[in-house]
Amino acid sequence: MVALPWGRSAGHGATGDRSDRARVTILALVVFVMLAAIASLGTGAAGVSLGDVLAKWISGEELSVRERVVLFDIRLPRLLTGMLVGASLAVSGAVMQGLFRNPLADPGIVGVGAGAGLAAVLAIVLGAFLPPAILAVAGMHLVPFAAFFGGWVTTLILYRVSTRAGRTSVATMLLAGIALGALSGALTGILVYIADDQQLRDLTFWGLGSLAGASWAKLAAAAPIMVLALLAAPMLARALNGLALGEGAAAHLGVAVQRMKNLAILTVAAATGAAVAVSGGIGFIGIVVPHLLRLVMGPDHRFLLPAAALLGAGLLLLADIISRLIIAPAELPIGIVTAVLGGPVFLWILLRRRGIVDM
Amino acid sequence: MLEARDISVTLGRKQVLHGAGLSAQPGAMTVIVGPNGSGKTTLLRAITGDLACRGTVTLNRQDMRALPPHALAERRAVLPQASVLAFPFTVHEVVRLGLTGRIALRPDAAQLPGRALERVGLEGYGARFFQELSGGEQARAQLARVLLQVWEPVQDGIPRWLFLDEPVAALDIGHQLQVMHLARRFARAGGGVVAVMHDLNLTAMFADRVVLMLDGRVLAQGAVREVLSDQNLSRAYGCRLRVSSPPAQGATYILPQAAEMA
Ligand SMILES: Nc1ncnc2c1ncn2[C@@H]1O[C@H](COP(=O)(O)OP(=O)(O)O)[C@@H](O)[C@H]1O
Ligand SMILES: [Mg+2]
Repeated sequence: MVALPWGRSAGHGATGDRSDRARVTILALVVFVMLAAIASLGTGAAGVSLGDVLAKWISGEELSVRERVVLFDIRLPRLLTGMLVGASLAVSGAVMQGLFRNPLADPGIVGVGAGAGLAAVLAIVLGAFLPPAILAVAGMHLVPFAAFFGGWVTTLILYRVSTRAGRTSVATMLLAGIALGALSGALTGILVYIADDQQLRDLTFWGLGSLAGASWAKLAAAAPIMVLALLAAPMLARALNGLALGEGAAAHLGVAVQRMKNLAILTVAAATGAAVAVSGGIGFIGIVVPHLLRLVMGPDHRFLLPAAALLGAGLLLLADIISRLIIAPAELPIGIVTAVLGGPVFLWILLRRRGIVDM
Repeated sequence: MLEARDISVTLGRKQVLHGAGLSAQPGAMTVIVGPNGSGKTTLLRAITGDLACRGTVTLNRQDMRALPPHALAERRAVLPQASVLAFPFTVHEVVRLGLTGRIALRPDAAQLPGRALERVGLEGYGARFFQELSGGEQARAQLARVLLQVWEPVQDGIPRWLFLDEPVAALDIGHQLQVMHLARRFARAGGGVVAVMHDLNLTAMFADRVVLMLDGRVLAQGAVREVLSDQNLSRAYGCRLRVSSPPAQGATYILPQAAEMA
């Protein structure tokens, strides 16, 4: 870096207050999500065009059954699932990074996704052995709740292992994440052997990450958990800001640190778990989205969390559109798209800030 | 009135404080001095609730540790000895973190971070990244944040407190004086200040009351003249010290007190 007499300013006026810029960014992101949503509704293998449907709607003509099914039973639940999953992944990434005080903490990278996945697979495979009565009550909620629980336990273990006296060792966090991820992967592998054919198909879809299985039923099971987590996240914003100065300083600023950490861990687990339950392992959203936003508008969580939800939702919709177009009429699992796009961005982040791991 | 009694703290296997205690008045500057490792930071952290400890800490006879964090944050602000910032905040954004509680509701709240930066001599630094400041500049930016949290030394007739751990350790002599004057002004306006200090000259110059520590105990506390005596200092610092004696052979020495004489 060049040593200018006044050093490097953050490049935004003289005051260093980036809140106006953050507000503009958030407005722009709202528009972005709406455009992505419209594009997503108009995209798909069935060849139903949004323009035709709109024209019919305006002229008061009835939609064909086919159009109605494609639009309302296939694309709409897929759109909503994509938005919620993208928002959840990005927000849980941002919350986890704030909690661990480190920009590399991401539920996907440190094994929380894998832990949630293991629990979901357990629920899929062993759920069949549950007494029918319990199964009837738990129903569609079994898998999302299992994933939430798995994510919660993994986050707790991770936090215990890697954080001493309020300080997170990045190396320990990443290594613990690798261990937890490997363990979950191995246990999931064992389960594959006792799965039947249908379960096996579910599991494969799962490992790659896909929105193809989105339905109203699945959405109804997972959406409440994701919505709750997304609503809880903004309540953490001030506390996460304080935590950036350290646990002691946060407490002196009036943050009830322990309570806030518990809430943050629950939020991460709920958002990650439910997202994993409906869509499998979709990587890199949780780390790339908050990082890009911090570059643009700074790390203030009061703005970062809502912006992450929006950018995460929009980017996931875009990735989903790409996954449907690139080898149409077949489609690619979306996890492959986010990995191909997100992986290089992640490496670029590491290149730009080599020191990041030593923080 | 702040009173800490019989504070004992064990860190790891080591008992660091053995029944230390101090009392401090609002409107006055109370300074804790003592050699390295004598437990100054630990005592301050016990008083501010950072550490679990035995003993009692009361503010106006009210148990300080019974207050919830948000209520405490309205009463006192704490400048830690060292801090590491996790994300790339600008200086303005760091200072703005001090804008908590009722102060954030003031109509001029948006201007306050800038004014706090002016007070510590960092006007124009708002847009810089905190992590790219020098150590001394970071210390002053943190001080601005802490000042902002207790912007009015007295609120609704209730004095507020500043706890500072070595606020001037990283600063040049000019900024040391500036910060000490700032703390003194806070006290003169009716607030309470408890500061851990390294520098005995600055302590002698600015303290209203001195607490001298040694090996986790309070050796003496009271007025500057009584506590900072040849005998007390020699015992605490383990070398022969004499108060107010210029070095022999006229060696160079620069006392901050000289700044007051101009
Ligand atoms: N976390 C800790 N674990 C064990 N001993 C500690 C810890 N922190 C401080 N100490 C010891 O406590 C003593 C007092 O430390 P401190 O209060 O920081 O001294 P100072 O007067 O220099 O501020 C020192 O001997 C130090 O080694
Ligand atoms: Mg100390």
